[in-house]
Amino acid sequence: MLNVIHREIRHIWSEPRYLVILTLGIVLSFVLFATMTSEGQPKRLPVGVVDLDGSYLSRRICHELDATPGVKVYRVYENHTDARRDMQRGNIFAFYEIPKGTYNEVLQFKSPRFVLYNNSAYLLAGTLCYKQLATMGMLATGAVQREVLRKKGVGEDEIMGLIQPVTFETHNISNPWINYGIYLMTTLIPAIIAFIALMHTGYAIASERRRKTLRQWLDTAGGNGLIALLGKLLPYTFWYAMLALIANLIMFGFMDFPMEGSWLLMMLSTILLIFAAQCVAALIACCIPDAPLTMSVCALYSAMSFSLSGFSFPIDSMPEFFHSFSWLYPIRHYFLNYRTIAIYGAGFDQCWPQFCALLAFAAMLLGATLMIQWHYRLELRHDTEGKEVAA
Amino acid sequence: MNRHLLHFFDIWDVLSSEVRRVFKDSTVLLIFFFAPLLYPIIFCFMYKNENVRNLPVVVVDEARCDESKRFIHKMDATPEISVDFRCLNLDEAERLMQTGDAHAIFYFPKDFSQRIATKRTAHIGVFCDMSSFYYYKAALLGSNAVLIDEMHTIELLRYAADGVTGIEAEDQMQPIAYEEITAFNPTGGYGSFFLPVLLVLVLHQTLFLGICLLCGEAYENKRSLLLIPARLRNHSTYRVTLGRALCYLLIYIPIAILDLWFIPRWFHLPQLGNLYTILIFMLPFFLSVIFFSLTVGNFFVRQKITPMLCFVFFSVLLFFLTGMVWPQSNMPRFWLAFSYLFPSTPGVQGFVRISSMGANLAEVRSEYLALWIQAAAYFGTSTLSMKLIRKFKLFNAQ
Repeated sequence: MLNVIHREIRHIWSEPRYLVILTLGIVLSFVLFATMTSEGQPKRLPVGVVDLDGSYLSRRICHELDATPGVKVYRVYENHTDARRDMQRGNIFAFYEIPKGTYNEVLQFKSPRFVLYNNSAYLLAGTLCYKQLATMGMLATGAVQREVLRKKGVGEDEIMGLIQPVTFETHNISNPWINYGIYLMTTLIPAIIAFIALMHTGYAIASERRRKTLRQWLDTAGGNGLIALLGKLLPYTFWYAMLALIANLIMFGFMDFPMEGSWLLMMLSTILLIFAAQCVAALIACCIPDAPLTMSVCALYSAMSFSLSGFSFPIDSMPEFFHSFSWLYPIRHYFLNYRTIAIYGAGFDQCWPQFCALLAFAAMLLGATLMIQWHYRLELRHDTEGKEVAA
Repeated sequence: MNRHLLHFFDIWDVLSSEVRRVFKDSTVLLIFFFAPLLYPIIFCFMYKNENVRNLPVVVVDEARCDESKRFIHKMDATPEISVDFRCLNLDEAERLMQTGDAHAIFYFPKDFSQRIATKRTAHIGVFCDMSSFYYYKAALLGSNAVLIDEMHTIELLRYAADGVTGIEAEDQMQPIAYEEITAFNPTGGYGSFFLPVLLVLVLHQTLFLGICLLCGEAYENKRSLLLIPARLRNHSTYRVTLGRALCYLLIYIPIAILDLWFIPRWFHLPQLGNLYTILIFMLPFFLSVIFFSLTVGNFFVRQKITPMLCFVFFSVLLFFLTGMVWPQSNMPRFWLAFSYLFPSTPGVQGFVRISSMGANLAEVRSEYLALWIQAAAYFGTSTLSMKLIRKFKLFNAQ
């Protein structure tokens, strides 16, 4: 096996271009996500106010809205159409419409009606703006209520009970700041590395066929397909697992992302993730004899991996078919592992099924071995027949 | 006049030879015709539920009073939440969260009823699973609706006890009413947000990949020069670039109509724009993607299979650079500028605004302009790249 590994490293060394480019790509993605989401949650998102009232109250609402950290008032509009246009231009993500006569109605104890428009086509920004504006509405209501109750001579303690009889105390487990970076990077970065490892492995096997060195490769391994494949995979496993571990170290170590459970288990599942992804690549590359087609199938397969990991939209809410289909993706198991280990701090007794699943991907290697042995024998037979004919 | 007609024939020659190349290559056919059909359909099925429904949650009710039971009952009745488990203490509930059976805990402390009875604020503890934002969203949406409803009920009782009843109590309780309108994606669903972005990105990426493959193949088989018809070899190369671009454009117009118009229609995605606006907007998009891909393909791709190596992370990067997830207003300046190197950024922004948000061309003017500028710039670079290839090859031949 050492011979095969040696041979593979020589190949990589003679053509370091791809390894360098792919590694740079990983670094670039890491830097991009880390710097882009560095504020945690998008702050000071632009929103608008359509102020038809123009009163003391509406001005104050604009002012207070601008003072909240989540949003900033991009513009105060005089009519609905302008605000709607600006929303379509993407300048604002939500706006309040304060109808004419609001202040008068409040003074007369009638309840005027505000309208809150938010743009959910931008999911994150729209939702966050909505949350801020809705809270603002609640606070404004509370403030007016308090004024009224005070004037009626109700005591301060009782006022709170009257305005807000029940509240929630929300605890967001492991991500109390609702930091988007934590949520995004912990799964996305290992996923990117795993699928670059997948493509690179696929490329390495496919290029043996392209160069027509399949026989030479298996000869180096003494005709044993499994050893040939393992020798091929391991240099990449080592390199990409190392990158993934460094990435995890930076995220959970330097960037202080929450990590409740054992580092060892997390590292183990990272290494297994890379290896499992490579096994998938090996199976695809060994079954499909055409190199460009191999790469296209690898790409087709991995393009769905991010969705099927279930970190953006939960798998349980997808149609039945995808529940089992997602098991074919190593990143799904990695994500479940991350959830149990890093978020809930559970031990091996909780996450062993995922480890088994990741290990089960190694079985694909056996299928790949059978295919490659078969091709090898075909070539050998072809050769001997050729010699016989020549003789 | 005659000369112009000749130019036209040159372009036609390049175009027809390029069409033949496309249809001879099975991998390119797979990428051009199969992937743009397969992906939209798979992803539309994947996200057809839009939102999380009946999120399994666990309830720890230490209060065991009328109010808490009514609260739990109402929560179970919301479409978002389903109260599947009841536990005696928080430890037990936490174990259910660890195994992934439940995704939120609602905890009613012992003093819950007492606080309500003494007109103080009562608290309910909520523990959310943050591994996916959609768990959090469903738990919050469902429980908030119940909270507001319960507050209303209790407040009415309290006001009644103070002698305020009827409309007067209603007005006092809610001195300012507000109405919420969620525009352009009424359910706030993931599918309606993600799929329009995906549709444009799929077109962008398949076109990019296919063109890079064709460039790689030509280079590999030392046929880059053959792309230039013999009589044009000493002339300017813009006709070659135009001819090839026209070939891809003709192939992609029907695909674009299917993907950007019929798929959203069939799968009931938000669709407020009209087909003509979309097509007029997408024309510079396709041109700039084609010229961008030709530039990258001619300059960097030396082997047919290399473009696919970088494909995965490139797609993910483009997705996040479009500014649909992390808003453009909050993107660091550098990345914002960087994102405008790729046609996908203005393309996605413009398409979503037209198709999901019903904008007209005037409202996406800046994106439209950006696409034409990109198209012009990349046309220049791709012509240049052809020129360099010719120079290089002729030099080598001598």
